[in-house]
Amino acid sequence: MTGHIFGLGIGLAALGVGIGLGMIGNGAMQGMSRQPEAIGKIQVAMLIALAFVELVFLLTVFIVPGSLKI
Amino acid sequence: MGDWITQSSQLIASVEEPHGAESHGGDHGDGHAWVSWEGLLVYVAIVVGTLFVLMAQAKKGLNNRFFTNKLTQLFEQVYLFIENMCVGTIGAHGRRYVPMIMTMWMLVFSGNLLALFFPTSPTADLSFNLGLALVSVAYVQYEGIRANGLFGHLGHFAGPKLGGFLALLISPIIFVIEIVSELMKNVSLSLRLFGNIDGGHRAAEAMNTLGAGIYVPFGAFLLPIKLLTVVVQAMIFCLLTAVYLSLVTHHDDDHGHGHEAEAGHAEVAPAH
Repeated sequence: MTGHIFGLGIGLAALGVGIGLGMIGNGAMQGMSRQPEAIGKIQVAMLIALAFVELVFLLTVFIVPGSLKI
Repeated sequence: MGDWITQSSQLIASVEEPHGAESHGGDHGDGHAWVSWEGLLVYVAIVVGTLFVLMAQAKKGLNNRFFTNKLTQLFEQVYLFIENMCVGTIGAHGRRYVPMIMTMWMLVFSGNLLALFFPTSPTADLSFNLGLALVSVAYVQYEGIRANGLFGHLGHFAGPKLGGFLALLISPIIFVIEIVSELMKNVSLSLRLFGNIDGGHRAAEAMNTLGAGIYVPFGAFLLPIKLLTVVVQAMIFCLLTAVYLSLVTHHDDDHGHGHEAEAGHAEVAPAH
């Protein structure tokens, strides 16, 4: 039973992180298309934001199983 | 020493125990290929040895005025990439930190590249990544102390300068929180790299089991995505180190945050 709940939780985490990554990509692409000369700076900021959002999912995957003793 | 790092990486994430005790070597398919400390050192030796040979070859082309050696040109491009990143992120004084950041980039990049073709690699192991993150954060502290002095660096943790009673009340709290966030930088740096590379391995394994019945290695189709991860993760590791450096060293130049990058491009090679 815990396994099922855990799977659902991982799925929910993936859902949220997917939405977040999509929104970052959306914003960055709009910014880049409006201002092509700022592509370098926008890409750097985008990558940092992507890294921080990604970390949430990694924390979910690697730390939650340990703290729940699954 | 090795046991200590492995144990502290077990604190970060409860990954599986090393399989060394069960003599379970070279397990493919279901289990995860988790190497012992000595096995990890072999992979580290592969990475460092390859880098050393390549750099030694590239160094031979340095005595020309124009680089004709192909390898030297390649490393020049890598250098320009890292220098752009440092100057863009840290500002005009970012060139000072290029050697360290480029070393870390090459180490992480070749470790990630190894992860494309081997069941494990240095950067797919949490202990190695934790060591790398410890080095990175310690280097940031060292540079912060060198730029602001010991008390300036510690005062940087205490947040904004407050007066009188408020300083006694709030500054210790901010100080503790900043110290904790400084420690968490280790966790976030190491876990991000580990999760991406190891997650790539697990995804490839899962897709291989999917196609095992019809003898198609579906995991091989993940190679392009994993290649993207390799480049991006190596870049993010160094970019975050550069961002942390820029946070602790931004006091020693007086122009504001906004036009630091432009100032970096305008001043051509300031004399350090």
